[in-house]
Amino acid sequence: MAKAENMQELVAEIARALVDDPSAVTVESVQRDENTVLKLRVAPQDVGKVIGKQGRTARSMRTILGAVSMKLHHRFTLDILEEDKNPATHAE
Amino acid sequence: MPIEDHTASAHKIAAFLKTLTTIGGLRLKYRITAGSGAADPDGLENREIYVELAGPDVPLLTERGGELLRSLEHVAAKIIRLEPDEHDKVSFDAENFKAIHARRLRLTAETAAERVRRAGQPYSFAPMSSRERRMLHLALRSYEDLETSSSGEGAARFVVLYPRGWQHDKAAPSPASNIDSNPGYRR
Repeated sequence: MAKAENMQELVAEIARALVDDPSAVTVESVQRDENTVLKLRVAPQDVGKVIGKQGRTARSMRTILGAVSMKLHHRFTLDILEEDKNPATHAE
Repeated sequence: MPIEDHTASAHKIAAFLKTLTTIGGLRLKYRITAGSGAADPDGLENREIYVELAGPDVPLLTERGGELLRSLEHVAAKIIRLEPDEHDKVSFDAENFKAIHARRLRLTAETAAERVRRAGQPYSFAPMSSRERRMLHLALRSYEDLETSSSGEGAARFVVLYPRGWQHDKAAPSPASNIDSNPGYRR
């Protein structure tokens, strides 16, 4: 679906600009009913960069995603997947 | 520390905005000014990069108190690797939304200053973001008979305006309790 591909690309572009290791950025989209979940993965050392202090960067990305969702008339949500064993930076 | 490379930073912000207007479909135009041309004429912002947005989708930026505008600003500051205490070096505005807000904040500051002078008592402003608190401190710096400080933690942090030389242990001003109010002043 073209909308989901656009959104995947949008999230990936923003994430690549935020991290130190852009080659490790991947975004997978999973359709759930009326909602498309975008699963963002980054290198373990970059997780804090996409989440930010008190989750502020993640919240900002979700706000941006919300606005674009509205333009595309389709709901998207963002999951940031943490695969390192030390998820102390997650605040949301 | 000033932003090292204004041109490179401006290009990174332009690439970010281009992603939003092309892939994201937001109908926005942007103008980015970097260096001395970006300075705030009112001196309330410390900005070195100024991004002005216009176009049909500006209402999306300014609704809910400018949430999307602040989100873009935050992500842009992160993309150019500003430290949290340097975030106000980059500033986004959309059809003067923030400029008008800043002017209102300055009026609030002036009203509060008059009140502290008249009453001889400290005055607590409503809780505000660090950016807004900084603007208040700057707006009140020129009042030599008054002084400001911040009190409270996190989202509840607020500015207090004192008569100069006020003994802070004598009577602490009541801490602001409502964190949902619009930035403005309160008793």
